[in-house]
Amino acid sequence: MQPGHFPANILFVLIFLAANGFFLFTVYKLYRIMRLGEPEDRFDRTWERLKGVATFVLGQRRVVNEPAGWGHFFIFWGFVIITIGSIETFGVGIYHGFAYWKFLGKGVTSVLYLLQDLLCFAVVVALFVALYRRFVIKPDRLLYDDQRAANLDASVIIGLILFLVLLLLGARAVEYLLGQNEATRYFPKWAFISVALADLFKGLSEEALHGWYSFFWWSHTLIILVFLVYIPFSKHLHILGAIPNVFFRRFSSIGELAKMDLEDESAETFGVSKIEEFTWKQLLDLYACTECGRCSENCPATLTGKPLSPKLTIHHLREHLQKKGKALLAQHGREEAEALNPEGELGRALVGEICQHDELWSCTTCGNCMEHCPVFIEHIHKYVDMRRYLVLMESSFPAEVQNVMRNWETNSNPWGLGFASRGDWAKGLPVKTLAEDSQVEYLFYVGCAGSFDERAKKISGAMVKLLNEAGVSFAILGAEEKCCGETARRLGNEYLFQTMAAELVETINSYGVQKIVTTCPHGYNCLKNEYPQFGVSWEVYHHSEFLAKLQRDGRLQTKLAMDKHLVFHDSCYLGRYNSIYDQPRTLLRSISGLRFSEMDRSRNKSFCCGAGGGRMWMEETLGDRKINEARTEQALALEPDIIGVSCPFCTTMFEDGIKDRNMEEEVKVYDIAELLAQTINSEKK
Amino acid sequence: MNVVVLLKQVPDTETKIRISGDGKSIDTSDIKWIMNPYDEYAVEAALRLQGSAGAKVTILSMGPERVVESIRTALAMGADQGVLVDDPGTEGSDALGKAQVLAAALRSLEFDLVFCGHRAVDDDENQVGIMVAELLGIPHLGLAVSVEIEDGKVKIQRPIEGARVTLEGVLPALVTFGGAHAVWNPRYASLPGIMKAKKKPLETKTIADLGLAPEDVGVQAAKVKVTAMELPAERQAGRKLEGETADKAKELVRLLHEEAKVI
Ligand code: SF4
Ligand code: SF4
Repeated sequence: MQPGHFPANILFVLIFLAANGFFLFTVYKLYRIMRLGEPEDRFDRTWERLKGVATFVLGQRRVVNEPAGWGHFFIFWGFVIITIGSIETFGVGIYHGFAYWKFLGKGVTSVLYLLQDLLCFAVVVALFVALYRRFVIKPDRLLYDDQRAANLDASVIIGLILFLVLLLLGARAVEYLLGQNEATRYFPKWAFISVALADLFKGLSEEALHGWYSFFWWSHTLIILVFLVYIPFSKHLHILGAIPNVFFRRFSSIGELAKMDLEDESAETFGVSKIEEFTWKQLLDLYACTECGRCSENCPATLTGKPLSPKLTIHHLREHLQKKGKALLAQHGREEAEALNPEGELGRALVGEICQHDELWSCTTCGNCMEHCPVFIEHIHKYVDMRRYLVLMESSFPAEVQNVMRNWETNSNPWGLGFASRGDWAKGLPVKTLAEDSQVEYLFYVGCAGSFDERAKKISGAMVKLLNEAGVSFAILGAEEKCCGETARRLGNEYLFQTMAAELVETINSYGVQKIVTTCPHGYNCLKNEYPQFGVSWEVYHHSEFLAKLQRDGRLQTKLAMDKHLVFHDSCYLGRYNSIYDQPRTLLRSISGLRFSEMDRSRNKSFCCGAGGGRMWMEETLGDRKINEARTEQALALEPDIIGVSCPFCTTMFEDGIKDRNMEEEVKVYDIAELLAQTINSEKK
Repeated sequence: MNVVVLLKQVPDTETKIRISGDGKSIDTSDIKWIMNPYDEYAVEAALRLQGSAGAKVTILSMGPERVVESIRTALAMGADQGVLVDDPGTEGSDALGKAQVLAAALRSLEFDLVFCGHRAVDDDENQVGIMVAELLGIPHLGLAVSVEIEDGKVKIQRPIEGARVTLEGVLPALVTFGGAHAVWNPRYASLPGIMKAKKKPLETKTIADLGLAPEDVGVQAAKVKVTAMELPAERQAGRKLEGETADKAKELVRLLHEEAKVI
């Protein structure tokens, strides 16, 4: 059956149409399943979105952040070029005389062939590396609960691509010998690999060559079509999901949570307890997952043995979505569908079965998963949406959390200490309240830790010293200050958060201050990125950036040296959430004598201290070790005298970690403000 | 079945208490008010009966307008309706006066069970519940840590030194609640609960509505009066003794004996 001659061409067209029809049908179904989700607007900033696709899909910007990603880079580009070549192959299938050089000219076609040959070679190498990784190295992040299915899927794909590529080279080789393609005939040196392979077939009769050619062509073409049909059912669905997912990515800070409409009287439920209650974008995420495992490889919960792995969460959600979605579409209405199939996928609870409670409560919202996901999947929002359901609808959360929530309700701080004593830390310090003087430029928003926690009060004190030293016009709210509600929000208690936010907005606005500086990264992130949802547009600074600016302006000079070795830990909510990496380092480097080391997991790879997402207030009983222990150990491995931090909660977590190892004497934990305050040697207090 | 829960609003235990000018009462400005924790256990117990036996739960309280917030909290937890006796005539009443008001209000309601905390954490009198039972002529079962209804009888358990005693009483009866947060784990209101609570019936009554006059229950009728209040002495900063161990020990004994007067 010589390709492109009657009746082979008829047969080919039929097979081609059937495969494509089946493919389009499957994709359409996936699209309809995705559209079961709730609406969400991701249609702004088209130009930036397109640029994102260029950088992160074509440029594979995030993929190549890791060595293994280069393999993918070549497979991806090989795939693109081969796909371009496939169009010619398909053309030949319809009419044997079809050839690119007739349209593109011999020059362009030759370059294309060169690229094809080169990439085919690169792909073969990359595939063997991939096989080696999966079956010999077996990195943890490729682990699945159903490992055999995952390996089988991967092997099928790798096998298909491998044959596809080899067969293509074979076809090109024979084509060259037969001299039926002008481009290979006139410029053999371009398709040099195929031409070299042609040696294998030299000396065969023309008839035999035609036989080989048919064989190569048909098997190559059929594999492409099989691949096409198989994609939507495998992890290679990401080929289809990733591009739109990168296009529709979020631009806001990593874990910015959306404001819920709590006034909606018609709402029957809050949060997400059914997969179709996620937005369509949250569902598209599930199609986009490449199962690369980078999220879990960076997840502090996974790495300390908690029952949470973001990769598996996404995997389980996708399986559930595909099964449940199909069932939902097959029936006429949701209720009917549920009634008809109570035992099947429709009867499985999203929260409690597909995602376990412990899984949801284990997340520290550190953002490491999202930061490293090559296709911009948004894990945190899914965990928080499901927490919202648990808290708002079921009042179900770890027992410790209930006390904390009550403490916020009655005293606007998680410790439950009397709200009237909130400003007591400042007694005797040279600091005014806004009530005493509202004509100041900055509000120093101290936050709950800085106001109530004995250790963090010292950071607040250091900050006051520095602000006075630099002559900043500022005041605090004192007893009038309220909790910003950040943690309640991350715990899923949006109602409590909105109540607290409304109170804080009212208090701050009553004084008309527009500029805020704070020592708490959580409050900083919340006031800066989430409070605009409540109609305010304050200028908010974290003390690390604020002090760095004062220093740049020459208003804050370090005078004393410090002969110490320091390791700096990036707070998640400063770093990944707000890209503040350099400012604290600049500040610390300004202290003479201070030697500075970086952990492997630093900057955007920083490993959470374990306190975020409300974890600060929960017992940590699951897993093989505590997150703060793991992080403290990473820091101590560098044998520092000081662990430098920029967050009161990190301070607590590290001090606890150090105490557990009885090293309080050798290693100290200091906030950057404290270190700076120790070196300015000011007369002023 | 109808369960009425008597609820008292008290200052949050973390509140910084200040004594007002008269030296006999506390300054109520700047106080965060909460539901008396023991009453909250009573609400929880009532709501469990609502779940298991379909009981209708009514919250009954007395005090000024601000008490509405605590009643709404109980409604958000799941109680069905609320009644507040808000009357300046009850000002300065003693435990008996309050019990009379609550008993009168109870007579105007239907009830099989009356639940309340065994004491309120503000003045710690341990009296009102018992007095209400007495005034209504119904049995009182005190300090429950569990409660069950069986064959028209109420059964409770109360911890006693190193053991537990089970009591049984005929209905209608009044049960006061003891235990701790960990025993009862009062539920946290869900958002739909909070939204529904805004629309649940909450009736306000005066003592005249109950057929009472200020002279019966107010300050004039009080048999017990608060004559003075004082705050505990402020905590002093700790002191560190210096010197040789033997001297430090001597000094410590002297201080404990002469200053602290504990030995
Ligand atoms: S946010 Fe952090 S803790 Fe939560 S899943 Fe992602 S990496 Fe893990
Ligand atoms: S969620 Fe992202 S990082 Fe995690 S496995 Fe999927 S593609 Fe990889």
